[in-house]
Amino acid sequence: MNLYKTPRYTLVIISGLMLLLQSCYSVRISNVSGVPEPDPVNFDDGFYRGKAVHIIDTTVNLSLLENEVMVLETCPEGCFQTVEYRVTLGAALLSGITFGKMRKIKVKYVCLKESN
Amino acid sequence: MASTKTHYIGQWDTFHNNGPFPTKILFDTQLEPEGNMPSFMDRYNDASREIRRLLQDSIANNERFRAYGSAWSLSNIAHQRDRMHFNGRMNLKKPIDLNECYLPSSYKSENLFFFQCGNTIKEISEFLFKHGKSLKTSGASNGQTIAGCISTGVHGSAFDTGAVQDYVVGINLVIGPGPDDVVYIERSTRPALHDDFAAKINSRLIRNDGLFNAALVSLGSFGFIHGVVIEAEDLFLLKRYTRKITKEQALELAHTMNFADAGFKIPTELDANGKGIRPYHYKVYINPYNAQEDYVTEIIYKKPYRTDYPDPIPRIKTAIYKDLPTWIAKFAAKHNRLIPKLIKAMRGNIFPDLDVEMEGTLGEIFCDSTHQGPAFAFTLGIDHSDTRRALDLFIKLVNDEGPVPGAMALRFIKASEATLAFTRFPMTCILEMDGILWKGNQNMISMEEMEKRIIETFMAAGIKFTIHWGKNAAWSFPGLIDYMYGDLDDTWKNYRSALLSKQMADLFSNDFLDSVKLSDYSVNGLIV
Repeated sequence: MNLYKTPRYTLVIISGLMLLLQSCYSVRISNVSGVPEPDPVNFDDGFYRGKAVHIIDTTVNLSLLENEVMVLETCPEGCFQTVEYRVTLGAALLSGITFGKMRKIKVKYVCLKESN
Repeated sequence: MASTKTHYIGQWDTFHNNGPFPTKILFDTQLEPEGNMPSFMDRYNDASREIRRLLQDSIANNERFRAYGSAWSLSNIAHQRDRMHFNGRMNLKKPIDLNECYLPSSYKSENLFFFQCGNTIKEISEFLFKHGKSLKTSGASNGQTIAGCISTGVHGSAFDTGAVQDYVVGINLVIGPGPDDVVYIERSTRPALHDDFAAKINSRLIRNDGLFNAALVSLGSFGFIHGVVIEAEDLFLLKRYTRKITKEQALELAHTMNFADAGFKIPTELDANGKGIRPYHYKVYINPYNAQEDYVTEIIYKKPYRTDYPDPIPRIKTAIYKDLPTWIAKFAAKHNRLIPKLIKAMRGNIFPDLDVEMEGTLGEIFCDSTHQGPAFAFTLGIDHSDTRRALDLFIKLVNDEGPVPGAMALRFIKASEATLAFTRFPMTCILEMDGILWKGNQNMISMEEMEKRIIETFMAAGIKFTIHWGKNAAWSFPGLIDYMYGDLDDTWKNYRSALLSKQMADLFSNDFLDSVKLSDYSVNGLIV
């Protein structure tokens, strides 16, 4: 019998995948004031369309005595317009099994448009 | 020196996915940093030189050139297949000093401000707020650039105030590559700035009412709009209410605009005699697929500014899946008879929440919006006395030919002085249908066919109408511009031809202008 052809098992697999997908999510913090730095050749659909998007996608290894990570970035106007932090199941697991010493960082941000 | 990046993009699209359109080059100009060039006027004139250089280069390559800002128009009005110029980073701004004003003047110097083309409505509102001032009106959101707004006639529903171009009092245009090809235009009957101001921005001064009114809604083709002078007003608050309104009450108000004696009243907005106060803004939302359903009105009253009002901007905002509109469009194309049910199910996302009251500045009430997938908008301007007939006709049309995935609204704006303003009736009712862009098939009328049917139906019914320049329409429909504007299109072409050389008139034309026959050049009043 091919289990994967049974509707019941297919449903379970789809449900499992859906749950895994839902475990990845992002939260966006946006500045009420100011205007995002534009990017006229960003034709992506959704919130970031037309905006200059910067992405930080890295993994940081901490030494035994370290417990904090700070990423330093520069915006021309001195402020962020939007910051989006993505939480993934993989990153949480990685941090868990390394006792918090490996931190996967996935952040998107948009700077404020320069005010002239 | 201002610098320009060149992108060989191949194709370009609007903010609302109405393309893509083939495009060779996109220029993106960045101002010289303030640290290297502290003087406002030096930076402004430096940018002007850069635009002239780009125009010279376009002439040398025998290519057309078109500037755009936020790409919010849903037609191809902003598009140019040769060279497009993104001006969103050109956002210098300053208040006008008393010594820069024409005296005596009908304008208060403290209300006059100078904005470079790429300032968005939000940037302008925030700048004015710091000076205790406000724009008089805006569109329903704030992302358009000021040059884009006036070029197409962006409006809200502040019916006694007008559209965005109606508070512009001076325009600075770059009309060619030479040092003499920079002009500053005002009305001769209402000059705003001293002659020296034009000299400061290296411009020839032209005071001419006809030319100014033609250049106000220029469709981006009277030259490169480099800067505008606007008249602001003291900061004010807007109190917004959303309520159910019966169809009869909504249409009675649309017909009379008499809020004092109307059956519909907001109990907290009555005068001492119990008469309704005249609001600042009146808008009606309509589900065209349910004749039994009451309408929803958004009604806004102007109040003196004070600081102790609750923050109208919500702290948490959620959004639908970004691909949902595309899925809905595909679903609708296959099962278009279900569109009315979809609209009913999505009421909460389409219409404003009912019985809400909030207060805020103009910039807070008409605030940020984000890209929500491919969108269309059919927007007609009609005389408000025709509202009932036009609305019934439009609803019948979308039910007979559709249904199509959209909902309707009515807004109202007084007449503009701009020659080709689509808000040209003494009180223009803006009858609009907004929704999700769809493709036709054997089950469903295409959008292009619907655009034609709207024009045919309204012409056959003898209803005078105009169409918003930045919205979807069958723009090449024979005789459309003459039907909408009579001889005014010739007036507009004559002023354009008087201002621009034939070569530059062609350079600032595009497919849109060609299709509506407004790119024709006239010599001594004769089209050649």
